[in-house]
Amino acid sequence: MQKPIIRLEHVCKTLISKSNEGIIENTILPDLSFNIEQGEFTAITGPSGSGKTTLLYLMGGLDKPSSGKIFLNDWEISQMNEDELAVIRNDKLGFVYQFHFLLPEFSALENVMIPMLARGKFGQKQAKERAKALLSQVGLYEKLSSKPNQLSGGQQQRVAIARSLANEPVVLLADEPTGNLDSHNSALIYDLFKRLNEENGQSIIIVTHDEHFASKTDRILHLLDGRIDKDQVLHN
Amino acid sequence: MVKVKFNYTIGNISLRQLTYRKRQTILTISGISLGVMVLISAISLMDGLLQSFIDKIVNIAPHIVISGEKIKTTVKDTLYQASGKTYINFIKNVERKDEEIIKNYSRVIYLIQKEKTVNVIAPVVSVNLIAKFGTLSQPLELLGISPELHDKIVKFSDNMISGKFSELERTPDGLIIGTTSASDLSVKMGDKLQIVSNSGGVVTVRIIGVFSTGINDIDNNAYVNLRLAQNLAGYSSDELTNLYLRVTDLSKDAAVARSIEKMINYHAKTWEETAASVISLYKMISVMVYFLVFFVILVAGFGVANVLITNVLEKYRDIAILKSLGFQRNEITWIYLIQGLFVAIIGAVLGCLLALVMIKVLGTIKITPSKTGSIRSDRLQMGMSIWYFIFASSFAIIISLVASIGPSRGASKLNPVEILRGER
Ligand SMILES: Nc1ncnc2c1ncn2[C@@H]1O[C@H](COP(=O)(O)OP(=O)(O)O)[C@@H](O)[C@H]1O
Ligand SMILES: [Mg+2]
Repeated sequence: MQKPIIRLEHVCKTLISKSNEGIIENTILPDLSFNIEQGEFTAITGPSGSGKTTLLYLMGGLDKPSSGKIFLNDWEISQMNEDELAVIRNDKLGFVYQFHFLLPEFSALENVMIPMLARGKFGQKQAKERAKALLSQVGLYEKLSSKPNQLSGGQQQRVAIARSLANEPVVLLADEPTGNLDSHNSALIYDLFKRLNEENGQSIIIVTHDEHFASKTDRILHLLDGRIDKDQVLHN
Repeated sequence: MVKVKFNYTIGNISLRQLTYRKRQTILTISGISLGVMVLISAISLMDGLLQSFIDKIVNIAPHIVISGEKIKTTVKDTLYQASGKTYINFIKNVERKDEEIIKNYSRVIYLIQKEKTVNVIAPVVSVNLIAKFGTLSQPLELLGISPELHDKIVKFSDNMISGKFSELERTPDGLIIGTTSASDLSVKMGDKLQIVSNSGGVVTVRIIGVFSTGINDIDNNAYVNLRLAQNLAGYSSDELTNLYLRVTDLSKDAAVARSIEKMINYHAKTWEETAASVISLYKMISVMVYFLVFFVILVAGFGVANVLITNVLEKYRDIAILKSLGFQRNEITWIYLIQGLFVAIIGAVLGCLLALVMIKVLGTIKITPSKTGSIRSDRLQMGMSIWYFIFASSFAIIISLVASIGPSRGASKLNPVEILRGER
């Protein structure tokens, strides 16, 4: 059997905040352990406040667990410092946020190119070609030179998806990517993820509220108060 | 694995953010360039004033002036042991203090001539007397000189407005008067003046020339034949108040003066020493002007800090995104430092160009000559040196850089998680 691409070992995340009543400890994720396999399309579901975003950011190397270990391939990302994590995020991970965070000064094409150029993984020319290919893959070949404010919400989110694929990530992480979109655009985005997984074998972890969409993935991890309530492998 | 890469992308992001807010950026660049322009113009003006003053002084002042003031020596004449370790030192002090005159001056000249770098030695008797013209009477500083020698010291004939300087040689009762004194006494060429001598006698002199040097301290004076001055002051023919010297190498005048002092035991002052108080006054005024102008640049520096702080505050989301895309702390810092540097460098370059224009314009402004200042000129003399530009530009750039450090580091320390969650 292949090695898992993501491995969590007894991951705990506790937030410590100071208030007037003293120090408040808030354990969001008490103890999580699971694996994500290569090529798997995983949906993380659960009620609001159950710790989905927190979990996704931990796997995405944006945040660190309070205890426990997180491995991406063979790298223990829970041990890395800020700059090392930045390199991992650039090189190995793709992220799509709930809000489509594009850089407003740059065109769609440039937004997709920036992660490729940031650490010099691709040259200028190569990056441009790749960015064009990715944007046409998400159906935005006509909009290469448009600035984010000239694009609809759905189009912006598709640019963000193209950007997340810029450096051929090991895994693509998406946090409620359709949270701010209408049903038509949501369907478009879900189809896109499905296609990326089926045609390119892209590993994807997606946080979603959409039961219907979740049912079309390979696996549903249902969270409840930071614990795995249900781990369902589907056979689509 | 961790490498700080300073690449094209960082510069690109940095400048895009800056040019995205055009008006604010242009305003800040204008602030910097104005500051730089004002600083350079002020330096040029102050330097020009000092330089024109020095130029005039060098033209008009003797290189070295010897006065009748004796160098006080503390040679032990007698040491008397009072008791044990206590000594009493008796110093001879038989000279009268008030009489500061050079006696037996031909012998002094003979001694000075041993110093080969001295070109010209001119005798001078300077005496303060009362001049009368009609009902007016005024104190007047008379300088008794030997015209031929004096002309070699300071090229005095160039300052003559009317009459000939050399005429003094052949006119025992002639007087050449400076424009300031002439207008104070309202006298003109050919007028006859009465001079009250030290002994109380009145001598009538004739004005045979008028001069103007542009330096009021000198234009207050009048020149007469050496012999006449000696008579008026009550000196004998081998007594002087001063000797004026001209040396071959002006840059070595201090050394020459010191060596002469040793030989003749009279005080020798170089032109710099004579003008020291005025020069230091100029320098003090310059420092005050620069100090004020520094604030202009400091304020411009606040402008830079302001641009960066707004760019950072309004760009929290973008900074978080850049971090999540894999930009490291140092690189985020650079994105904002480049903005500060860019604004400063463009501002400094524009400021230098504006200053060039400003200096040209100020240099053409006509000013009404004043009678009260120490020098008169009909035009502002502006200084010019590449160092003004280098100094002002580096100052502006350093201030801007310092102003940029805080916001840039603040940006790099931002935690992206809270922003990406949509909490901020
Ligand atoms: N920065 C924070 N400070 C305090 N509480 C937080 C913070 N981030 C998350 N939480 C809390 O952690 C819990 C899980 O949040 P989150 O991971 O965003 O859940 P979900 O994405 O499933 O809605 C929530 O109760 C939330 O209020
Ligand atoms: Mg969430």
